[in-house]
Amino acid sequence: MLKPLFDLIDDLGGCLMFLGDVFMTAIRSPCTFAEVCEQIWKVTVQSLPTTMMSGFFVGAIMTVQFTMQITTFGALGYLGGLSTSATIREIGPLLIAFLLSGKVGAFTSAELGTMQVTEQIDAVRCLGANPIQEIILPRYLGIIVSSFLLLAAGLVMSIFGGMLLGLLFSGINPEEYVRHIPTIVNRFSIASGMFKCLVFAFVLASICTYKGYTARGGAKGVGRAVVSTAVLTMVGIVVTDWITSLISQAALNVFLGGAQ
Amino acid sequence: MISFRNVRKSFGEREVLKGITFEVPEGQILFILGTSGTGKSVLLKTIVGLLKPTSGEILIDGQDVAPLTELQMFPVRRMCGMVFQQPALFDSLTIFENVAFGMRKHLPDLTEDKIAARVKECLSLVHLRDIESKKPQEISYGMQKRVSLARTVAVSPRILLFDEPTTGLDPVTTNAINNLILELSRKLNTTSLVVSHDMQCALAIADHIIVLDKGEIVEQGSPADLKKSKQPLVVDFLKEALNAEASI
Repeated sequence: MLKPLFDLIDDLGGCLMFLGDVFMTAIRSPCTFAEVCEQIWKVTVQSLPTTMMSGFFVGAIMTVQFTMQITTFGALGYLGGLSTSATIREIGPLLIAFLLSGKVGAFTSAELGTMQVTEQIDAVRCLGANPIQEIILPRYLGIIVSSFLLLAAGLVMSIFGGMLLGLLFSGINPEEYVRHIPTIVNRFSIASGMFKCLVFAFVLASICTYKGYTARGGAKGVGRAVVSTAVLTMVGIVVTDWITSLISQAALNVFLGGAQ
Repeated sequence: MISFRNVRKSFGEREVLKGITFEVPEGQILFILGTSGTGKSVLLKTIVGLLKPTSGEILIDGQDVAPLTELQMFPVRRMCGMVFQQPALFDSLTIFENVAFGMRKHLPDLTEDKIAARVKECLSLVHLRDIESKKPQEISYGMQKRVSLARTVAVSPRILLFDEPTTGLDPVTTNAINNLILELSRKLNTTSLVVSHDMQCALAIADHIIVLDKGEIVEQGSPADLKKSKQPLVVDFLKEALNAEASI
């Protein structure tokens, strides 16, 4: 009955040890800048169109939802500010991170899992190289940087999506839409959104590289690794979203308290 | 000289190697025969530290490699080349880069010209040419296995470990690889450990044969000794070898 709990603790411990290895390798024998750039390029190019498209629709959805709510209060002029604030601070990073977990996370996990079960990782070790340095670290850093870039690109597109739907659905022209953005979206909102992006990218990179690297048992094992990557990144993103929201709120309180 | 002294390896409750003890003198070819799942590949992987034995000693030139860390294993891996059961070529690299990979890591002082010449030489050893710019997925499985062998011999290891090197290959390539094992051993005094199911090939080129069953050595000796063995598993293997010979 307690086996799933023990398995989870075991997995968590394994993941922490793996991350320890990754960080120690990054300090002692980092990979080359070119290797990281290659991974950033691969991941970004692979996911940019879908991320931008989903970012656009996230903004559009938020505008539609806010229009329905604030029309009753006669505050349609604040639509752009409210919609953009909610997208940047919460919904944008969350939805785009979900998208990336399905695309980048599953791809990386499957790629590393296949390398593991076809003995490519053992071959790297036998040929005198450290697989964490050669294979994991460039992908790990590449995923973090490119997820961050993709999330930022998605957020920018969400503002355009919101603006377009503001015009088409709510009858708010773009000038009116952006007028209140600086009033509601402050530096803190942007910092909070970026902080979430970074945390989600870290969660995604850690889970998919760990699950892929530790895959065992042929094609079935790779399948299991991909499924658990998808599930764990979703759960990890939601849990860290809650934690980062609490941290952001506490930081805001301190910031506002300090301002007063 | 490689010595196994009472080596045991367990995965959880399951003991895969049950006190293995044997020696391989330098320059000899040792065949490890056995049915699937008897721990042959596990035994091979413990030599290069891909798996750690639960207990026992693995001595290479008198040094116990079992307790060594990943970093300490580097010179041991420089000395031992391993050919895996699967080709294990790196999909994202070309054939040239695959063969050059070990040289770049183990022999960082080699110039690009020397690396290129060595890659060509190693590929011709396994009867391959003009495939340097191809990716592994663009060549056949048999060719991938031969590239894998070229990659391993490129750094001139003193010890060669073969994990079923001829499985899934056509008879011509199988013969070529068996001849290559023999050639490397005789010309360069390379010590070879070959995990295989192929008794016919073992009888032809091995200096010494070990038969593993359920994690234990059930028979060992020279090919001539094994031909006289009454051990049931060895008798079965010999029958298979005779049948294969008769069918040719």
